[in-house]
Parts: sequence; structure tokens; C-alpha cells
Amino acid sequence: MKQNIDSRRIDAFVDGELGLESQLEIEREMRVDADVRERVEAARHLRAAVRENADYHEIPAALRGRFDALAAPEPMPDAAPKASRPARPPRAAARVERWFGWRPAAASLALVGIGALTMNMATVQTSRDDRLLDEVVSSHVRSTLGQHLVDVASSDHHTVKPWLSSKLDFSPPVSELHLPDCEFVGGRVDYLDGRPVAALVYRKGRHIVNAFVWPSAAKDSKADFSTERGFQVARWSQGAMTHWVVSDVNREEFDAIVRAIQSAESAK
Amino acid sequence: MGDEENRRRFVQLALPHAGAAYNLARWLTQNEQDAQDVAQEAMMRALRYIGNFHGDNARPWLLQIVRHACFSWLKENRPAERTFLDDDDDSLQEIAAPASDEPQSIALRKAERREINQAIAALPVAYREVLVLRELEDLSYTDIARIAEIPVGTVMSRLSRARGLMRIALVPGARPVLRTVPRAVNGGNAS
Repeated sequence: MKQNIDSRRIDAFVDGELGLESQLEIEREMRVDADVRERVEAARHLRAAVRENADYHEIPAALRGRFDALAAPEPMPDAAPKASRPARPPRAAARVERWFGWRPAAASLALVGIGALTMNMATVQTSRDDRLLDEVVSSHVRSTLGQHLVDVASSDHHTVKPWLSSKLDFSPPVSELHLPDCEFVGGRVDYLDGRPVAALVYRKGRHIVNAFVWPSAAKDSKADFSTERGFQVARWSQGAMTHWVVSDVNREEFDAIVRAIQSAESAK
Repeated sequence: MGDEENRRRFVQLALPHAGAAYNLARWLTQNEQDAQDVAQEAMMRALRYIGNFHGDNARPWLLQIVRHACFSWLKENRPAERTFLDDDDDSLQEIAAPASDEPQSIALRKAERREINQAIAALPVAYREVLVLRELEDLSYTDIARIAEIPVGTVMSRLSRARGLMRIALVPGARPVLRTVPRAVNGGNAS
């Protein structure tokens, strides 16, 4: 059998580093060519074996101490010969300095928290939703304009879900939608509402659909539809996740997509 | 005042990646004491030049400094290790492709932790660094390209080649031919 796909592409495929077109091309090849399938399997296997088994050399404590000392506000931090024990004062000073280094950030975070609490909650919620609506639509537009539609290009949720879970602090529901003329393109990590979120991307005809998901404490709710700058937007809570879906498809198709996402998830 | 600011930025941006800096130095120098010296020198450089860093992710930036320090060290102390690689894409492509009838997956299942570590250690340093950056530091091809100062296409070639050599090393009964220059491996495989 001839090697019609070179190993670099197999490796880049397994690493999720191929562009969308090439990624899909290899997936197609895998479906029709057992040899390609086997090589992808082997590459995945090797990758996993190396990641699980290769030593990650822990930094020795003494070296870390020397690094901390470097940051101490003392001239000539490395003047002492290596054999001599590291001087106490610089290390203590480094710790103090580290603490002060972080404090402004911590303090401002705390202030933001207190500020948010003391404001009228209803106002906060409304303006938050408006701001979020704007963020979601902007994010959708950016994804369709630029190169960065997906981080992981795959029509297989078994590929996309683990990838997203590994990049996020939650595991988003991922499903291919079984709708006519609708294709699952992949996923990416996006940033909305001040946190990293999962974005699932579908293609309906020539239109792109972005479905954003992130955890929330809100109770399940029905989809709330709106339009923003000509885009269809739906938002709802389901299974302890907030969902926002955006697209420029027509309202009827959009409804069908939202329903498909909801039923795919409730079927789980 | 400038020093003060530099130290603050060093603590915030560089120190969190000290572990990665040591791990890379350890894999490239292959020895604990040398890794410590090289990593220390790199961190001192990082402190000195932190003012020139304007980005949001200091990890590739710091690892580039570490990598540079490692290669200077290798040049001084292990001149033989600095294999000059022929990154000619076509030749790499042929070699990197495993023979199609090779029972790779079955063979790999038996690979033990020690064997995998040995196989990585035996890789020529230019392959070893991309593999370590990819599999242990989980960096993107773009970041690896920046750290190793090579084009992304070369990252792909070297990574693929590194994995090809790993496969050869991990197949039971295969001769440990990792130090052989690519052409010899190619010739040996001709059937």
C-alpha cells in the first residue's frame, strides 16, 4: 500500500494542528482507507504512551530557592558561591515581595466582588445580559471573519469533547446535530462573560452557527430568542449550563437548530 | 525603581514557569547538575531582559531563553551532540513514514516507562527538544517554532521524525539505531 498521506500530516492531525480543510480530509481518508486509520491509531497510541510515561523532571527545591532569591531586592543575588547555603534574608524578602506583588491584583478582585454585590442586582442582571448579548454576537462575527473558527476541527464529538474538556474547567455537552444540510465543524475555546467557554461550530448550508456553553447555577429555562444586529440569538439554561446560540440563518432554521441542540442534550 | 519593576514582573511572569524551565534544561543537558546550572543562568537572563518582554504568555519566551542557554552549554561541553540536521523535507518524509506492514500499535503496547524515557533520551537533541516541548510542555507548533527558532513546517518535520525514531526504538527486537544519521536508516530499510 502506498503512503499517500505523509507522516507529518498524520502527526499534525493527531496533535489537532491541521487547518479545517486538511483535518476533514484526513477524517474522510480514515473512513475509506484502513491504512490511514491504522496510522492515525498508531500515532495516537504513541502520543498517549509518551505523555503518560515520559518523566517530567521536578525542579529541585534548592534550585527553586535560588530562583526565589534572584527576585529578592538585593544586589548581586548570585554573588555567593554555590556551595554556601543560600542567605536567609533574601529568601524571606523574596517571599514578602511576592506577596506584595500579588496583593494589588487580589485587592482589586475583592473590590470588584464587593462592588458587584452592593449594586442593585436587577440592574446588574439586565445590563449584564445586554453586555453578554453584545459579546456573544461580536464573538460570532469574529469567528466568521477571521481564521480562527475552530481550535479543533472534527465532525466527531468523540474528538471534540475530550479536547474541550482538557482545555476548560468543565466538560461541555457536545453533539453532532442530525439535521438536513447541517454539519458539525468542530469546537474552540472562547472567552465570554469573563471566563473561558466552549464554542461549538456548525455549518448550515453556507451559514455558520456558533453555540456557546458554560456552567451556571441557573435553573433550566426555555429558550429566549432575540435578534441583534441582524443575527438570530437564543439563550437558555439547561443541565446546569448556560447556552447561547448565534447565527445568521433564517428564523425558521434557527429554531430547528436550537430545538435540535436542546433535544440532543436532554436525550443524554 | 526599574530594577524593582523588573523583579516584580519576573516574579509574576517568569517564576511560575520555573518548573518548565528546569524540565527542558534537564532533558536537553541529560544531567541534573548541568540542568540546574543552565536553568539558573537562563533565569538570570530572564530577570535581566524581562523589561523587553511585552506579551501575555511568558512561557514560550522563557523557554526560548532556556533553550538558548542549553544550546550554548551543549556547544561548549558536548560538541558532538550538536548534530546538524538535514531538514530537507522530501528525505524526511520518506524516512518518517513507517513501513506500512509494521505492527506498530501492538509493539507499542509493551513499551515500558523506562524504555520510553530511554528512547527520548537517545533522540538527537534537535528532535528531542521538539518532542519534549510538544508532549511534556504541551506547546502549540507555533510556540515550538518560536522557541526553537525554526519555521512551523520544520517543527512538523522534526516532530514526525522524532516520533518515527521513537517507534523504531520501541519495537521489540529493533536495533537501537537512533544515533545513526538519517540516510543510513533509510538505506537500511530498503527492502
